[in-house]
Amino acid sequence: MHSTLMFILIVLPFLAAIACAVVPVKQVRSAVVVVTGALLVVASLLLIGKVPFETSFTSMAGLPLASMTQLADFLLLGFVLFLGWKHKHLGIKILAGAQLVILFALEAFMMDHHAASMAFVADPLSLTLVLIISIVGSIICIHAIPYMDNHEHHLHLTISRQPRFFAWLVVLLGTMNALVLTNDLLAFYFFFELTTLCSYMLIGHDGTEEATNNSVRALYLGSMGGLALLLGAVFFQNMLGSLEIQEIIKLAPSAGYAMLPMALLCVAAFVKSAQAPFQSWLLGAMVAPTPTSALLHSSTMVKAGVYLVLRMAPGFVDTTLSTYVALFGAFTFLATALLAVSQSNAKRILAYSTVSNLGLIIACAGINTPAATAAALFLIIFHAVSKALLFLCVGTIEQRIESRDIEDMHGLFVRMPVTASLAVIGVLTMILPPFGMLMGKWMAIESAAANVPVIMMLALGSAITLLYWARWAGLLMSHPLQGGVTPEVQPKLTKYPLVALCGGAVLLSLLSPWIYSALIVPMIDMVNLANPQAMFEAPYVTSKGMLGADSGVFPVAPLFLVLIVGMFLGLRVLKNAQGAREASIYLAGAQSRTAQTPDSFVGPVNQPVKVANANYYLTRLLPEGKVTCWVNTAAVLLALLLVVGGL
Amino acid sequence: MQAILDFIKSSRIKSPWLMHFDCGSCNGCDIETLACLTPVYDVERFGIVNVGNPKHADILIVSGTVNHRNKKVLANLYEQMPHPKVVVAIGACGLSGGVFREAPNVVGGIDKVIPVDAYVPGCPPKPEAIIDGVVLGLQKFAEKSLA
Amino acid sequence: MMSILGFLLALVVGVFVAPILGGLITGLDRRITARIQSRLGPPILQPFYDVAKLLGKEKLLNNSWQAFCAYVYLVAAATSVVLFFMQSDLLLIFFVQAVGAVFLVIGAMSVPSPYSQIGAQRELIQVLTYEPLLVLVLAGIYVHTGTFKISGIYALEEPMLLKLPLLFLVLGYALTIKLRKSPFDISASAHAHQEIVRGVYTEFSGPYLAILEIAHFYEVILILGLVSLFWSTSFVGMLVLVALTYLAEILVDNVSSRMTWRWMVTSAWAVGLTLTLINLLSLTM
Repeated sequence: MHSTLMFILIVLPFLAAIACAVVPVKQVRSAVVVVTGALLVVASLLLIGKVPFETSFTSMAGLPLASMTQLADFLLLGFVLFLGWKHKHLGIKILAGAQLVILFALEAFMMDHHAASMAFVADPLSLTLVLIISIVGSIICIHAIPYMDNHEHHLHLTISRQPRFFAWLVVLLGTMNALVLTNDLLAFYFFFELTTLCSYMLIGHDGTEEATNNSVRALYLGSMGGLALLLGAVFFQNMLGSLEIQEIIKLAPSAGYAMLPMALLCVAAFVKSAQAPFQSWLLGAMVAPTPTSALLHSSTMVKAGVYLVLRMAPGFVDTTLSTYVALFGAFTFLATALLAVSQSNAKRILAYSTVSNLGLIIACAGINTPAATAAALFLIIFHAVSKALLFLCVGTIEQRIESRDIEDMHGLFVRMPVTASLAVIGVLTMILPPFGMLMGKWMAIESAAANVPVIMMLALGSAITLLYWARWAGLLMSHPLQGGVTPEVQPKLTKYPLVALCGGAVLLSLLSPWIYSALIVPMIDMVNLANPQAMFEAPYVTSKGMLGADSGVFPVAPLFLVLIVGMFLGLRVLKNAQGAREASIYLAGAQSRTAQTPDSFVGPVNQPVKVANANYYLTRLLPEGKVTCWVNTAAVLLALLLVVGGL
Repeated sequence: MQAILDFIKSSRIKSPWLMHFDCGSCNGCDIETLACLTPVYDVERFGIVNVGNPKHADILIVSGTVNHRNKKVLANLYEQMPHPKVVVAIGACGLSGGVFREAPNVVGGIDKVIPVDAYVPGCPPKPEAIIDGVVLGLQKFAEKSLA
Repeated sequence: MMSILGFLLALVVGVFVAPILGGLITGLDRRITARIQSRLGPPILQPFYDVAKLLGKEKLLNNSWQAFCAYVYLVAAATSVVLFFMQSDLLLIFFVQAVGAVFLVIGAMSVPSPYSQIGAQRELIQVLTYEPLLVLVLAGIYVHTGTFKISGIYALEEPMLLKLPLLFLVLGYALTIKLRKSPFDISASAHAHQEIVRGVYTEFSGPYLAILEIAHFYEVILILGLVSLFWSTSFVGMLVLVALTYLAEILVDNVSSRMTWRWMVTSAWAVGLTLTLINLLSLTM
């Protein structure tokens, strides 16, 4: 049973990718994507009842897995080297070359290969990630089917490039599942590199100059992360004589200098999660078609970074490294939130907010208490769902209004009532109680409260987050009182994913106390198993749908009760308001009195002038270029401190 | 329920928020109107508050003559006030157009454009007279039921 | 059984008594303000007359979403007050109250009127300014008492003010912004300064404005409740502290002119963060 599930979760996507790439028929491709998605969803749900378990395979479906991975690793690095040569990029060439040499040295001289099997560990942490990858990821892939048709229609392509696109999209799902399930650091490294390659392929998909440049940048920075990871692996092999992740976590706290490779792993994670000063690749990645942004650059792939930090976190409890990781994460949370304030491009806002939230998760991992770990896990889950929803909404909106600028979305409700409403709900689930993201933030702040520098950065960052979300939600909803709203028709494969994500975001928030007892409590038990010194206790007790502790209480179910009753009455208020007299806006009495020119005032020569409004972007206070410069400098210093502090 | 409705009705006269619109006055009437709000007359004693927005106003105080350019503005402001509402015209110009009533660009008094409930004559009227006009307006305000 | 009784009591007090008390305090505020300006001022019950009158006015809207937002603001404010009387988690109460703040902004932004839009943007900046300060004050309370729950504060032996004097000042600074009192009355422009008319409130009228006013009554109670926690050991001390703080707010409101939002953000963060840092460090050291 385990092997079947593993096969579906890891190998099936690769087979599906081959099918997508080879069969040029659209219907077949769509069917393959939908069926693969459905199977992944089922397999990941079946996995729930099985964790925790360990399993290892010498072969899967008759193929020798471990040696294949080793071979593939070299091929992959060779391919990256080739790409460096193709794009004439010295940095990539050096990084890939160095990795080839180190990997060869590691494989040939430092390891014994008698146990050529591949070990997998499924625990609550990896289960959470598998669920996100398989469910949210599949939903995004399905949404991509109509999206890519439209996309290519806009680009006037004669030969469809969709086979390639979907192949890489589906490959990513398998890669990510393998990445979070493997227990072997070297296999982890391989899948880590493979996600970088996926990212490169998908960012550069449209083939424009900008896309190519940005994809090369992603590859370059990704290779840096790969190098850091590989170096960490070499150190671990040298010091601990093992590359098994569970072993490393167990042995690292008592081994001298083990914090240096830990710090290197953290740096690799920061690169993958696009933390400052590496955030530029993720912003560049926004040129890609929206499904790419949603899948790779918000809800799943970038989670590989925070997953790595969280996975390793029990190995560095109560160390200087942990303190620096918390500082670094909190700093990124604040700094990228500040950068998001000056943006009016919706995808850039989403990108910065992603980086910012990942920073918050990393800060939680660095605080490294059970409550903070619980916060991190909640943030991962709810961020994935809400952010995927928002990205898909922006993609849908962009194809209709042909702009990503939120200033062009004033009164979008009138044109796209369904998508605009879903986007507003998406934003609200990001920032307000009783939804999961806010609960995660609540836990994060409560667990960081005694850490003065971190709590100060979290407090500032969370207020800034509210600013850039609220102003966006506000401008989507303006609409006239009676009529005027044109009904919106969406293709089924657009509508269902959006509604599913929206429903998921709300429903999962309601279920959060149960998610807590089903996922997070066992996970803390696992941490204790791995690191007996930690002696963690479950931070909260759940009763009657409330999460409580001595330090605070979050009454999830009662708040939802208020929400439901409130919504019921709220809808009556809305209905009641239909009977109100419709007023024009106040324009000092100078508004134009004709129906043809709404929101206008009588200007010179009796001509109507339309009122123009724009958000405050505080660009004079926070110019993006200057802030980025300062942020990067500070982040480089912090990262250096982190590595040095590891010693 | 009836008690609440009665309270609402009795509150109307205790909380008249007024908006002042200068419809082309020489500013004489405006200065006297604003004088009502100063500590000397202190109309907030009666709950009167000067607001800058027709959507919040119960009483519209208008001074000056209406001309062809600003009659639309006057009508717009009146239309944006929620019912029940009253209008008080201040000064000779507001009542009839005053000395300008024969001018080619002048429409005439306020009541040529919007219905007026109380007239306060004078050039300019004294603050006491304006307060008196507002009080008269308030009585009409109390009588007007929700239209 | 006791807890159910306690819950019902909190519900009744929170939902029904709090707005009445808040309205009376607002009336007192207007009266004292008038006395400071050597006027007589309106009756104490004036805020209730205003609300009653507004409730009886015609419904006038630009869109129905506005009505919904006003209503959510009210529900959020009432919920946060009920949670306060249930001695719940302070951080949570604060986040619930933020729901109202966000919906007020969204409601104001749903109307393309420039006055309401600029008001909304300024209101957002006000939220941006006071929110981190309040979170830090709450964090300070946690460091001192070991819990975010209000019940933990009532368990203290001596008033919190003695240990957190600087954080109390920060709280005062933040609350002046939250109450939209001068020099930070930049988003709603009460009183005579009306360059953006009534800012966020401009496009709300009649019953919907009344809803916002009632929500404001709740907020006044929440804010003063927060202040009262700093002298939790005796009822008299609590009253004196609340009265003094509110008088100081009124005085500041009357003697200061309005500042720009830039000045507000930079000064509040500079002063607030420094004081917080000193107080937090002195607690944790």
